[in-house]
Amino acid sequence: MTPTISCTDLEVTLPGASGAVNILAGVNLSVAKAEFVSILGTSGSGKTTLLRVLGGLLPATGGEVRCDGTPIQGPPDGVVTVFQDYAHSLLPWRTVRRNVALGIEARLGRAERDERVDEALTMVGLLERADEYPWRLSGGMQQRVQIARALATRPRVLLMDEPFGALDAMTKASLQDQLQQVQSLTETTIVFVTHDVEEAVYLSDRLVVLNGSPADIGLTLDIPLPRPRHQISTKERADYLELRHRVYEALGHTVGEPARG
Amino acid sequence: MKAKKERGGTPIRGLLPLVALLVIWELVGDPASPYFPPPSTWIDGIQPLIDADKLLPAIGQTSLTFVLGLAIATALGAIVGTLVGASRSVDRALSPSLEFLRALPAASLVPVAALVLGYTTQMKLVVVVLPATWPILLTCRTARRTLSPVLLDTPRTLGLSTWHRTTKILTPALTPAVLLGVRVAAPLALIITLLVEIVTRVNGLGAALGAAQAGFLSAQVYGLLTIAGILGFAVNWIVTRAETSVSRRMRGTV
Amino acid sequence: MARRINVLGAAVFVLALGLWELLVRTSILDFAYLPPPTVVAQGLGELVSSGELGEALGHTLFAALSGWALAALAGVAAGSVLGLVRPVWMYSMASLEALRALPIVAFVPVAVLLFGFSVQTEIMVAFYAALWPILLNTISGMRTEPRMLESGAVLRLSRAAVLWKIRLPGATAMIVVGLRLGLSVSLVLTLVAEMVGNPAGLGFLLVEKGQALQPGQMFAAVFVIGVTGIILNALVMGAARLAFRGQMASSGEVSS
Ligand SMILES: Nc1ncnc2c1ncn2[C@@H]1O[C@H](COP(=O)(O)OP(=O)(O)OP(=O)(O)O)[C@@H](O)[C@H]1O
Ligand SMILES: [Mg+2]
Repeated sequence: MTPTISCTDLEVTLPGASGAVNILAGVNLSVAKAEFVSILGTSGSGKTTLLRVLGGLLPATGGEVRCDGTPIQGPPDGVVTVFQDYAHSLLPWRTVRRNVALGIEARLGRAERDERVDEALTMVGLLERADEYPWRLSGGMQQRVQIARALATRPRVLLMDEPFGALDAMTKASLQDQLQQVQSLTETTIVFVTHDVEEAVYLSDRLVVLNGSPADIGLTLDIPLPRPRHQISTKERADYLELRHRVYEALGHTVGEPARG
Repeated sequence: MKAKKERGGTPIRGLLPLVALLVIWELVGDPASPYFPPPSTWIDGIQPLIDADKLLPAIGQTSLTFVLGLAIATALGAIVGTLVGASRSVDRALSPSLEFLRALPAASLVPVAALVLGYTTQMKLVVVVLPATWPILLTCRTARRTLSPVLLDTPRTLGLSTWHRTTKILTPALTPAVLLGVRVAAPLALIITLLVEIVTRVNGLGAALGAAQAGFLSAQVYGLLTIAGILGFAVNWIVTRAETSVSRRMRGTV
Repeated sequence: MARRINVLGAAVFVLALGLWELLVRTSILDFAYLPPPTVVAQGLGELVSSGELGEALGHTLFAALSGWALAALAGVAAGSVLGLVRPVWMYSMASLEALRALPIVAFVPVAVLLFGFSVQTEIMVAFYAALWPILLNTISGMRTEPRMLESGAVLRLSRAAVLWKIRLPGATAMIVVGLRLGLSVSLVLTLVAEMVGNPAGLGFLLVEKGQALQPGQMFAAVFVIGVTGIILNALVMGAARLAFRGQMASSGEVSS
């Protein structure tokens, strides 16, 4: 079966202050349909860069990116990125409702559009705030608007860049569970960037760790925890703790020593 | 001179000196003075123009040149500014030439344009457009340059067409900057319109001013100056209002 | 200003000149009095060798700079008073804003009326034109940030010391911006005064060459005017940077 989204020997060079900088080199990743893959890595390791390449927003300098077997040029249909920088991704001159409609308004009729927008806003719990302007919402709410905007397009692949980074623990947990639910209903393929180890283990079918400079994939780990998962019971399982332990180790932490970075 | 209410911040009592000056001028001034005719004579001064049905057409011609010139400058400045702001290499390629054009004072272009294009309304427009374009071009360039890359990626990942990307994202995002430029460019465009008219005497309020001065009709000169001033006020007021209200909405800081 | 030489930009500039030459020579651009760049260069040579250019340039510079210098004195002095003495500001600012809205060029006929076809007309016009940006920038420059004044109070500086050590340096960058704007405006308005008033200087030279149907010399004069503006601006900036190093750098004016 061809993977939904994949890259082989991916290399990315970006202009830096003193000449070109090689950010990613030799990255191989393939994500199957309906799979949930997390990308972990320290700040500045190139997670956002990798996601932008997978989303067709940044051309690769070397190697190949394919979506459903065809090499991509620009963002493929049905592949939607949710950006880390939500504040700049929402249009301040549009209400929440019209922001969520941005990706579908040109393609759908009024009735269907409204229905989808309401549905997406309900999923992220923001239906009551639909007529507010985004800059009147908290950071976490703004991020949920961005997620709703992506969901409204009914994407086949969701590329999410630290989507819950700005949220408090409780909202985060509830959105994590909503995301799992949405995925099991819609069979969306999800690539999820985070630097939260627990979150990665809890959500993923598989996780990869980016490290080095230029970065490549240092560790790939399958997470065979049973689904559906629960915030309390799953996180108390011995295999969950074991997996979590291994990821921390892969990120350079050792038992008995306080965490660094 | 009409005492108009100023926009917030400046206390209105500050108009006192100006009013006092006009009152004293009125009381002390000699109505026959060739240099300082008192304000009450100004209306008599422009009466002949009104009777000859020349004043309104002159104001109309000035306004037309001003509005058209500003509109062309806005379109030109916004488009070139966006292009130059979007690409470092386009910027590097064009900026020396643009800087050089910018350094040419509008006044020096008038005789040249008159010689090349003749004493026509097109000539007036060309002279007005060139200097009025700069403020708009510059603010637009900066705004385009500092536009968040995420804002530009958003419509791409949502699969919007190039047309929708331009109309739904780029245009609204740059509108405040364009209006900020227009706010600076509008008074400039009015000044240059009058300048061309004064120098070339083609038509409009400036030409009337020049003619009045040449005929030593001092009261008429002051009367026309007042009308030019009112025009200036109106322009300032309109563009400032438009700029603040639109940019508040667009920047999301109502 | 230590930038790399912009080869691409220079090439485009030269290319544009070449294109202009080509279009005029091949009559694709067909205006009766549009000279190609080579003719403009020739015109420049003629103007220089006949001595007309030097004389006109000297006259215009004299008038513009005299007016500007007077405006600098008056504008900085009056602007300081207005910026520092609150009651004066309250009882006059609105008048100034009302007067400022009058289009400056509309005063040129008034000045011609009052001072006739003389160099005084030019100087007055240049003065009036430069006064506004200098005055208004000085006023807003003098509005020191309250933080800085507080630090003056904390350090128990005298009023004079606060003025001299905090307010004035704080206003320098704004004043320099006003001076630069004022200089370019006074140059423009001097040219206008020469075109419609006093028959002398570069402004009159332009009109004269236009009437004599000498487009080459005319464009050359425009070129000289543009270069003069650039040089004057650079001189003011250079002088300001030398004199007020710290203040200019902190306002980011240096890099612009
Ligand atoms: N537009 C760009 N141009 C040049 N270099 C860039 C650009 N964007 C990112 N970089 C560089 O690429 C490297 C990786 O950046 P990236 O944003 O992918 O990191 P990240 O892993 O997402 O970090 P974080 O966790 O902080 O979001 C960094 O060194 C950064 O300086
Ligand atoms: Mg990132």
